[in-house]
Amino acid sequence: MVTAQTPTNIAVIKYWGKRDETLILPVNDSISVTLDPAHLCTTTTVAVSPSFDQDRMWLNGKEISLSGGRYQNCLREIRARACDVQDEEKGIKIAKKDWEKLHVHVASYNNFPTAAGLASSAAGFACLVFALAKLMNAKEDNSELSAIARQGSGSACRSLFGGFVKWNMGKAEDGSDSLAVQLVDEKHWDELVIIIAVVSSRQKETSSTTGMRDSVETSLLLEHRAKEVVPKRTKQMEEAIKNRDFGSFAQLACADSNQFHAVCLDTCPPIFYMNDTSHRIISCVEKWNRSEETPQVAYTFDAGPNAVLIAHNRKAATQLLQKLLFCFPPNSDADLDSYVIGDKSILKDAGIEDMKDVEALSPPPEIKNAERSKGEVSYFICTKPGRGPVLLSDESQALLHPETGLPK
Amino acid sequence: MVTAQTPTNIAVIKYWGKRDETLILPVNDSISVTLDPAHLCTTTTVAVSPSFDQDRMWLNGKEISLSGGRYQNCLREIRARACDVQDEEKGIKIAKKDWEKLHVHVASYNNFPTAAGLASSAAGFACLVFALAKLMNAKEDNSELSAIARQGSGSACRSLFGGFVKWNMGKAEDGSDSLAVQLVDEKHWDELVIIIAVVSSRQKETSSTTGMRDSVETSLLLEHRAKEVVPKRTKQMEEAIKNRDFGSFAQLACADSNQFHAVCLDTCPPIFYMNDTSHRQDNQLC
Repeated sequence: MVTAQTPTNIAVIKYWGKRDETLILPVNDSISVTLDPAHLCTTTTVAVSPSFDQDRMWLNGKEISLSGGRYQNCLREIRARACDVQDEEKGIKIAKKDWEKLHVHVASYNNFPTAAGLASSAAGFACLVFALAKLMNAKEDNSELSAIARQGSGSACRSLFGGFVKWNMGKAEDGSDSLAVQLVDEKHWDELVIIIAVVSSRQKETSSTTGMRDSVETSLLLEHRAKEVVPKRTKQMEEAIKNRDFGSFAQLACADSNQFHAVCLDTCPPIFYMNDTSHRIISCVEKWNRSEETPQVAYTFDAGPNAVLIAHNRKAATQLLQKLLFCFPPNSDADLDSYVIGDKSILKDAGIEDMKDVEALSPPPEIKNAERSKGEVSYFICTKPGRGPVLLSDESQALLHPETGLPK
Repeated sequence: MVTAQTPTNIAVIKYWGKRDETLILPVNDSISVTLDPAHLCTTTTVAVSPSFDQDRMWLNGKEISLSGGRYQNCLREIRARACDVQDEEKGIKIAKKDWEKLHVHVASYNNFPTAAGLASSAAGFACLVFALAKLMNAKEDNSELSAIARQGSGSACRSLFGGFVKWNMGKAEDGSDSLAVQLVDEKHWDELVIIIAVVSSRQKETSSTTGMRDSVETSLLLEHRAKEVVPKRTKQMEEAIKNRDFGSFAQLACADSNQFHAVCLDTCPPIFYMNDTSHRQDNQLC
């Protein structure tokens, strides 16, 4: 039995569009920042036993089907790389050839709400693949594992590393060179602080899979983006990250987020992932950035209204939080302790202890007639760039019962 | 004294981006449908008199300044084309050379709210140019007049005709071939009905002039749109209109509207003209 924990990630140069739907091969490179798993992560326990008569999986306590193509692809690819496993202490001996006949039980748990639209499938598939690889003693390194996770969910491949990660689109037809590499680790630029605004949304969103397929088929701007814009931007972004050049980083991240959403709008039927609240957040950040000598905050939005705001440093993040709490205060009956989660110490830095302090905040000087839009943001998560997948050796953290192989 | 009335128009293939800010020359063609002036129009009266000591204009009852470049361009261009005017009944006789020394008074009125964002400047400049041309007895046809109205406000050039109108982007540096032509008149496809939903908006919007300039300077998608997408779409749209092919017309119009807004989003800083209500209407129609 193996328990692993993987982080989620947010793209700063976006993946949107496949050149191969089955192998999940993208039309352009993408770059992401891995988020600190202390605040957002998937934990997965995988167990094998001759007594298991079929592969089974439980996600957040509910059993789910593994019959879908994506799960089948991952299971097949990892099984093909299984090796001998020997644990003399526990008296376990599994030969390489045994694996294809053995079944596994998988229990997975996200420590953040799936409904929040925070890329749970990326962390989920990365964790499944990583955990199974460890269980089955596969020898592949994380980049090779990322090529398998990629077949579960494209962006999952980028969760096999911490820090800043690049998913090389690759050229090979079989996708063997379409995999993730680490650009820099999480310590390289550790002064960055990330605040996620989980925006209230009544809309059921278009799934990424459907959306990007429609975009590939109908957007006349997508090909130009993939062929001309992204290759240059990817190089510039790698430079900015390497050099810790926040000004360039912010300009590129914001531009790419906006262009991704522009392509969604250029799709038939048009896809609107951002809503008025998202736009207001962008407006706040743009006005602040322009009022300072150099940008203080980068914003990026995935296939949903949530804003991922990357602040230059702790000081910028603190000021950002004050501005956000002014513009997007909680409903009167809300509890501050659940309105800002993750690294809550930022509230202290911002001089905010209770709701009275939120009410007393001053309007951001760079915004004329700043309005307070109560209840438009469900809550904020304060986090930072984080590490890649790890194994949890503490059996008490396992999600399956060691005796029964069923969820605890 | 001359009183004229001009309609407003809505582009179905969008104009967004100038290659020349002073002459107002666009980066691509555009096509519009003219709206019935019975419901939306600008009425303008222009008068000339030796007793007027300066050009003056009143818009919806308020006096406005005519010192801006756009008004000056229109006044200058029309004056340059003024001819002799003779009205024996009223005893008026103005020689061609007199016009440059005479001043005009202009009163203009929109029968729809300016705050509603319904392209009042297009109708306004078209009316000003048309009325002045009649007053000063200019011989130019409506296409040639459209090239002058264009210098007041780009989309104004398309309000010099009814029905469906095309603004040819032109190639000449001086903009002399950047003008509007009528594709078909308003009777050609008269079964069309247009419903405008005026959406409540708290936001002060980015002006078109500023917005499209930012787009030209910062959107990496705009050039591709202008060079590759719009030329093909324009041809297809002309065909659809000519053949009353509503299916194609609808697909092209929706796609072009969305692409225009996509380019706005691809601008730095991003421009959001549509809001959640705009999006909901879109969903309803699908």
